[in-house]
Amino acid sequence: MTIREAYTAVIAQAETWKGAAATEPYEAAWAGEAVVFLRLLKKGKGNLRNVRVRVQISPDGMHWADEGAALRIPADETKVTFCRVTNFGHYLRLAATLPRGAECQVLATLSLKA
Amino acid sequence: MDPVQRAILRADPRLSKFDPLPRILFFDNFTTGMSGWNVLLGNYTESLDRRLPEYKLMTTPMLSNVTHWDGGTHGALDGSYAMKIATRPIRLAQTVALKRLTFPKACPIQLETWFTFKPEASELKLSELDVRSIGFIFDVQDQARRVLPQIRYLNAMDGKPAHRWQYKDKCIPFSDVGEKTVSVFHYGEEYWEDVPGGEQRLCYNEIPTKINWHYVKVGWDLRTMRFTTLQCNDRVFDISHLGGIEIKAMPNLWNLFNVILSVGTDVDKRAFAYFDSILVSGDWE
Repeated sequence: MTIREAYTAVIAQAETWKGAAATEPYEAAWAGEAVVFLRLLKKGKGNLRNVRVRVQISPDGMHWADEGAALRIPADETKVTFCRVTNFGHYLRLAATLPRGAECQVLATLSLKA
Repeated sequence: MDPVQRAILRADPRLSKFDPLPRILFFDNFTTGMSGWNVLLGNYTESLDRRLPEYKLMTTPMLSNVTHWDGGTHGALDGSYAMKIATRPIRLAQTVALKRLTFPKACPIQLETWFTFKPEASELKLSELDVRSIGFIFDVQDQARRVLPQIRYLNAMDGKPAHRWQYKDKCIPFSDVGEKTVSVFHYGEEYWEDVPGGEQRLCYNEIPTKINWHYVKVGWDLRTMRFTTLQCNDRVFDISHLGGIEIKAMPNLWNLFNVILSVGTDVDKRAFAYFDSILVSGDWE
């Protein structure tokens, strides 16, 4: 039996988001599906309730398009939010635009599976 | 190595391009997965904020089929996938990936890999001086000392070609990151020395999106805590008189054997290092 390859990539490791934020490009051409998880590592500042964290895809890691999937920033450090993505292009990343005065420290992971 | 074993290795197209010591500890060619490689996570207690700043810049390794915007998928040397490590687009940022194990016996060990490196193709320029360095490092500890043998190929420095191999045997002081844990960023720019006769020009090719694979071999002896060999393609460098950074043995690291790879950028542009395959071998009974 061949086990399906799976790899969890931490794409934002205690990164602080404010203003226009995006994670570093992550290549995942080998994966057929991804679950994106988002956690807050400490209490956020400002109004984060309406922030839409968008999954973006790219053929080259330089030109990005919204995939359509999105997730919310968790309400507090005890919660986790997620979304599922399939049929994505070569690269994945998360992008968000936070309102003025808003700031949060996030841990974002891609749980990828072949 | 006895002739039968040698013949078997030479008959396997995946292994024939390597020159291993008698026992293969691991062989990863990244066609079936990441094989135990991960980002170097800086030490911390209580909060990830306690990590040293250089470690906060590091990013997770990727399985890459080396795809470029203009030429499409380059692929690996063997199969489609290679392991890729990438810096952030911040001058002097580094990313380090490693595989953690312990050594079964103090003996000669050897890292071999087919690798290449490139800057992100974000400019339509040659960009051959954008990647600063690529590193090949061990982290080992016996009953008396922890030793960090560090070798790097310095491609460029401050926009000027460097094209030489370097080693490091001194280290800045450790920092306390809380409770019983300490940390040090020993990959920094300080204390690098040129390997004697270590100048070497590697094939960069003619645009940022064409890659060529290179062979490197780094040998270390866990008994003497000295290098045994350094080879890149057709050049062999005598580094048998050189050692690594030595510090007193640390708690909880007995028989430590980490195999470590790094890449650094010389400009505000991502630097990428790709590893088609990695073979680590030893000579023990």
